[in-house]
Amino acid sequence: MFQNRAEALALALPAAIFAAAVFLVPVVILLSDGFRNPAGGWTISAYIDFFSSPLNQAVFLRTLKLGALVTVVSAVIGYAAAFAIVNLEPGMKGKVTGLVVLPLMISPVARTYAWIVILGRTGIVNQAFQALGISDVPLRILFSETAIFIGLLQLFLPLMIISLISALENMPKDAVPAARVLGANWFQVFWKVILPLTKEGLVVGGTLVFTGCLTAYITPAILGGSKVLMLETLMYQQVSVSNNFVAASVIAFILIVMSFAANILLKRVATARNKQRRAAA
Amino acid sequence: MNATMQKAILASGTALMLTMGAAQAFAQEKTLTISVYALAQDEYKQLVYDPFEKICGCKLVVETGNSVERLAKMEANKANPVIDMAVVSMADALAASRAGLIDKIDTSKLANFNKLYDVAKDPNKDGMSVGYTFYATSIAYRSDKMKIESWADLLKPEYASHIAWPNVTTNQGPPALYMLGQALGKDTPDLKAAIEAVGGKKDEIVTFYEKSSQLVQLMKQEEIWAAPIGRFTWAPFTKLGLPVAWATPKEGQTGGMNVMIMPKGGKKSELALQFMDFWLSTDIQKALAEKFVDSPANKDVKVSDEIANNLTYGEETAKSLKLIPSATALDQRAGWVKSWNEKVGQ
Repeated sequence: MFQNRAEALALALPAAIFAAAVFLVPVVILLSDGFRNPAGGWTISAYIDFFSSPLNQAVFLRTLKLGALVTVVSAVIGYAAAFAIVNLEPGMKGKVTGLVVLPLMISPVARTYAWIVILGRTGIVNQAFQALGISDVPLRILFSETAIFIGLLQLFLPLMIISLISALENMPKDAVPAARVLGANWFQVFWKVILPLTKEGLVVGGTLVFTGCLTAYITPAILGGSKVLMLETLMYQQVSVSNNFVAASVIAFILIVMSFAANILLKRVATARNKQRRAAA
Repeated sequence: MNATMQKAILASGTALMLTMGAAQAFAQEKTLTISVYALAQDEYKQLVYDPFEKICGCKLVVETGNSVERLAKMEANKANPVIDMAVVSMADALAASRAGLIDKIDTSKLANFNKLYDVAKDPNKDGMSVGYTFYATSIAYRSDKMKIESWADLLKPEYASHIAWPNVTTNQGPPALYMLGQALGKDTPDLKAAIEAVGGKKDEIVTFYEKSSQLVQLMKQEEIWAAPIGRFTWAPFTKLGLPVAWATPKEGQTGGMNVMIMPKGGKKSELALQFMDFWLSTDIQKALAEKFVDSPANKDVKVSDEIANNLTYGEETAKSLKLIPSATALDQRAGWVKSWNEKVGQ
């Protein structure tokens, strides 16, 4: 056993050294900037400064809000889509899954620019709204939180769908029919059968989507611009314009903490439901 | 083949290899390392670098990057400069000068120096830089939808919801605010009045742009009618098939200038000066102008009206440019961003 372990460690060593040298060490150096006192020693004053600015507070809350909103909405849409795809014939399933994955193969820049055309004052969304009499004048959708939300949702929904497809495929085939036979309605089937059995897929998909929202730069930059700053665009501004690497380091740390927190929270939610079930049983 | 012959061949072969090696070593010795913006490098290679290499019999090593990266690199190599000359913005030249990174330029060795427009001769008035190109910043606008006679016209209630304004973080942002301040009659270096005026209209203004390439698209889909832009991005607007005009506001135009600098302690200052002089010469400046790479700082350059229309060109234009003094830009930049974020960003 020990020998196996040693062998495993030896095999992992090159990758570990590589990751440590080019990833961990630079990240630690980067993050330590945010805690360094210019006069020497360590301090959290950069964090206090950051959160005492109303602009930064607003940007932080907006990033959290949009990330959470995109994650929740993509989970709702994702479950419906994944459930439909899993129940297709095998040949069809592959094709439709391919279609879901397809957008991931197109550059986010191109995809995001397409939204500028679609969401513009003369774009098809506004044309449709006016034709249907929903609005008399063209709505201003671009450069708003709505635009960023739409862009991020389109960007990351495939990740959620794929995670949920593999989770649904691993679910016992007869679980849903059994629940139906026993008289559960569709809501109960989802809540008591599908959700608990696919929670790992949800945790993976949710983490990917939420983390993706926190790290996406192009979409908030193009669809929100500096008018609707997110933490990622604010970080870019701090580095490339204000040359304020300390503030950028603070934002980087906040983003990392938010990503881990989201992952832990999602796992917690999943295990909490488990315990509840066990307690009920 | 006898032994003597073999020896002779071997000897001449060795001699040949040795001379080749020496030639290579010589060529390696005579290199000039320049640090430039990563823009239009194909054109620069064809019009400037290759012809210069032929003249000097040396090799040009070109380092590219944005100004923040390149200045950081200069700072890091301060003790032992890697580059022999660099081109940066006027304000960055002053920053480099303040950091003790650059030396005075011996303009007596630049035969083309006196052909430059006055504004380009010593932009920071410290003898540390020479301008090689400048650009005007004014307003591109839909002449069928609006009338622009002043920078303040952009914020009129009927126009504000149809304009894009450059973000303070772009090169066009501060100059545009600077001119707005002049239009409002409150031109303090902190740009307070102008930032407040823009902040008052922030919900109406379509976007605060960061990349000017985006504006062409926004103009095309009639998302915007007007935006302050640099002259170097003007050409695509003229090809939209829309009535887009270049404003000449009564307060004047603003803009920016790029300059050449030389690192302190550079080992090849003679060669660097030769290269700078070549770049400033009438023929090269004209060739760059005709490819719309750089507007000429050399007043002897004459181009056709059609080409001039896409450039910042001519004595009149050069004189009308109201540039933000570099010292103001350096000292106030952080403050501008801060008050912008307070009044506009939130």
